[in-house]
Amino acid sequence: AAAIVFSDGLCGWKEATSLRQHNSDTHGHSSFATKVTIAGGAIYVAYDSGLLGDGKEGSVTLGRAKAAIPPAVEEWVKYFGFELPATPKIEFSPLDAWNSGVQKSIHALSVAPSTVSDYTKQGLKYVKDLTK
Amino acid sequence: MSEKELGQKWDRCLADCAVKLGTGLGLGIVFSVVFFKRRTWPIVFGTGLGLGMAYSNCQNDLRSHYVLHSKVAKEE
Repeated sequence: AAAIVFSDGLCGWKEATSLRQHNSDTHGHSSFATKVTIAGGAIYVAYDSGLLGDGKEGSVTLGRAKAAIPPAVEEWVKYFGFELPATPKIEFSPLDAWNSGVQKSIHALSVAPSTVSDYTKQGLKYVKDLTK
Repeated sequence: MSEKELGQKWDRCLADCAVKLGTGLGLGIVFSVVFFKRRTWPIVFGTGLGLGMAYSNCQNDLRSHYVLHSKVAKEE
């Protein structure tokens, strides 16, 4: 029964007993109950910190995470005892680049008909001058 | 819905998408390692769940301006 469970990777309740036996034989007493506790704990932490909630809560959590990263990085650096290379200051803002790109393309589209007619007239005039 | 409000809603949508994607990925990795012998499919499933939750939240948020909201009046 244990061999069948691991070949297709699914845990049925019927095979739970053989799985527990196999686990405590090979993985050093990590039973099914331990795994359930770990997974349940992970889900509870995610639920409790509002990660699985509304859009508003999500952006609040992201802000908190962004604010908490620099102190955490500093603590890690102190713990490991080496200096991280200074992150280069990138002066690129994707928001501004996207906005300016959108504005430029829409402006080009809006002047396209008049520009095309101007070029056509110039081209026709040039051809007429050639044939004179 | 004003332009400013719409922009804020889209910002919230993107932030929420990032959070839910990370959460789904994380939970998928936890489940894959703990239960499913480090296979790939729980990670992909968790990421998909996260994306789905983000999409649904975004949809509700953008629609909430046009949906009628009602309150139940207290009986006296």
